[in-house]
Amino acid sequence: MNNIDSDSGQALEPSPDNPSAVPPAIPAKPSVLRARLARILAASGVRTSEDDGAPSHFGFGVERIDAALRGNAKADGLPRAALHELHAENRDDRTSAAAMALLMAQRCRNLDQEARPVLWISESGEARRQGRLYPPGLAELGIDPDSILHVDAPDAIAALRAAADGVRSSAMAAVIIELAGKKPKGLDLTATRRLSLSAQKSGTLSLILRSGSDPDNPLPTAAFSRWSVAAAPSLALEANAPGHPAFDINLLRHRSGLYGLNARLEWNRDDQVFREQQGAPDTGAVPALAAVRTDHQGTRAA
Amino acid sequence: MVIMAADRQAVSLGLGTGMKLADARARVPDLLAFDHQPLADADLLSRLAEACERYTPMVAVEPPHALILDITGAAHLHGDEERLAQDAEDRLDAAGYNARWALAGTADAALALARHGLKEGAEAQLPVAALAMDAKTHQSLERAGLYRIGDLAERPRANLAARFGMELTLRLDRILGLEDRPIDPLRRIGNIVTERRFAEPLTHIDAALACLSELFAEAAERLNERGQGARMIRMMLFRCDGDVARLGLETGAPTRDAPLFQRLLRERIAALNDELNPGFGYDLIRLSIVASEVLAPQQLRLEGGEDRRGDEVALVSQLSTRLGRDRVQKFAPADSHIPEQGLLALPALNAPPPVPWKRQSPDNPPMRPLHMFDPPQRVQVIAEVPDGPPYRFTWRRKSHQVMRYEGPERIASEWWQRKDGQQPGKGGLTRDYYRVEDARGRRYWLFRHGLYGEEKANPDWYVHGLFA
Repeated sequence: MNNIDSDSGQALEPSPDNPSAVPPAIPAKPSVLRARLARILAASGVRTSEDDGAPSHFGFGVERIDAALRGNAKADGLPRAALHELHAENRDDRTSAAAMALLMAQRCRNLDQEARPVLWISESGEARRQGRLYPPGLAELGIDPDSILHVDAPDAIAALRAAADGVRSSAMAAVIIELAGKKPKGLDLTATRRLSLSAQKSGTLSLILRSGSDPDNPLPTAAFSRWSVAAAPSLALEANAPGHPAFDINLLRHRSGLYGLNARLEWNRDDQVFREQQGAPDTGAVPALAAVRTDHQGTRAA
Repeated sequence: MVIMAADRQAVSLGLGTGMKLADARARVPDLLAFDHQPLADADLLSRLAEACERYTPMVAVEPPHALILDITGAAHLHGDEERLAQDAEDRLDAAGYNARWALAGTADAALALARHGLKEGAEAQLPVAALAMDAKTHQSLERAGLYRIGDLAERPRANLAARFGMELTLRLDRILGLEDRPIDPLRRIGNIVTERRFAEPLTHIDAALACLSELFAEAAERLNERGQGARMIRMMLFRCDGDVARLGLETGAPTRDAPLFQRLLRERIAALNDELNPGFGYDLIRLSIVASEVLAPQQLRLEGGEDRRGDEVALVSQLSTRLGRDRVQKFAPADSHIPEQGLLALPALNAPPPVPWKRQSPDNPPMRPLHMFDPPQRVQVIAEVPDGPPYRFTWRRKSHQVMRYEGPERIASEWWQRKDGQQPGKGGLTRDYYRVEDARGRRYWLFRHGLYGEEKANPDWYVHGLFA
């Protein structure tokens, strides 16, 4: 009792004759102390873990696209705390869409100070038929395979439930859920709305990856943005070898009404950044000039 | 003050336990005396007991000065019992301790023999003091002309019991090896088991779950005393008609967190194939911690911030409980150059610490695909020359024109795994891998299975993976 009396009592009230008195001591509740500490830290410009200075938006690293995605938001790029949708333009583009989702998650993850894993959820049947994630290939893209927590869900409903749990907890840097087919079971406005709200609350990037969908006539979802991803011919390397991963991306829908943003991107693993593919898209049999390996240009075999 | 213990030198000078310190000082004026520290002695004895675990896991401390080793089934490791005991004596001797030992069929017989400096089989010669009753009993036994255990052994037990009590016959039987008593070994930390019995069976599932949560809270308290957290929890619900429902839970990290337990329990029950059916009711609910690990208390950060590592563990536990432990995976590299065998997908619940993956040479495009087919899928290939790169291939009834390629990257089979070892053409087929890109810009990982002409007349082609 004594303690409480002396804390809330008048003895420590700043008196008029002592204007520089310390503020009244507050009963030592952790929440109150935290709030005070946060105020002091904010005043002194120290970054705390609660607001660890990680940007709220992430981009592709291509100025033209990031700036165009700004919309009426405060920062360039796409918001992290939101649900985004990636559609494989064609069933055969599933690998490109998966890579794009993983690379977006990776770019997002790089913004963090502490490393958090990425939750990858896929249906086991689809993975068996269409190929499963191959960790050495992840490493080749510059993604640490140890950072992936792989969930092999038995069906779409279980996958969505796992995604909901993953998005709700703030332990993950990003949650990627891969759903195949035109109309996956359980994927509707309610489910995506739930994911989207959880993402806003926890700040976890959530990506829905769709293959075999109809991008021109998609299911209505509550996603912030919707993209279509396709494989693009790469810029050939020396001796007409296939080059760096290239993607055609197309913005189908955006919360701020943006539409029709296209780009052909190339992933640069060493800098962990996308760049726009230089030179004309090359689909013919004649190899293009190697824009990537400049050191080989002189010696390149025709 | 009385001497509690004396060293060898003191004994040789005629001093011994029980002697008054003043008398001893009178005999040996420069005597060194130290305070008796029973706790330090007990500590030393338990350390010696730990050292004796080299012989058997069943080591019990018998205060004040004795250790009991149950060497049943452990003696052959040192040759025989005698040699084991001799080895123990040698080691203790080398460490500066004076040890006496005896072997016997029961713990009490061995203790009595060792205390009186006798060997196995000499139980009859032990004095009655070996019974370790009170001094009065010993005195009256001697007054009756019974000086040795052998004298007592011949007497009818009923008379002895009538005169000196059941305690004496019990101790006598134990020394004679007619009865054994269990010893209390040092490492007896078993599983934590908590249970509730109900006079009126619980017929409601919610009540049973609430009871499980209470039991876990109890178990968590005991885990806390040990500084541990639960990794594996097993629950049994005994129905009064004899049916037993078993539930198991596993967590990704040691935990004493009751809310987490409740969440996992709900997941576990939701994932059950056949629902819990209380039927006529549960009359016994038992929860045991089957596996536990060290869990030190952690300091929370004052400025707040979330405990993300804990969140991750909770998420992994939750997903593993719902979907099954094999469905939530972490990747680890495996030691094989065969592409599909170069990785392991281990349950994330007990994933090993991360191992570094192979580093990529900078400025190279990916040499391994993002998606892999296991098993590889057959493709029809047209090549300009039989051992050359593909020119066009047909996969899933679609024809793909190869615009760019790189290869071959030759990956030999693991001939050392074969019985015959390396023999040309017999050690499995070599694969020639090509990275190819078709006209649409999709990149494939194709391989020719077998060297043309050498290993196979008409090698097959497969697609093994897809690049981004």
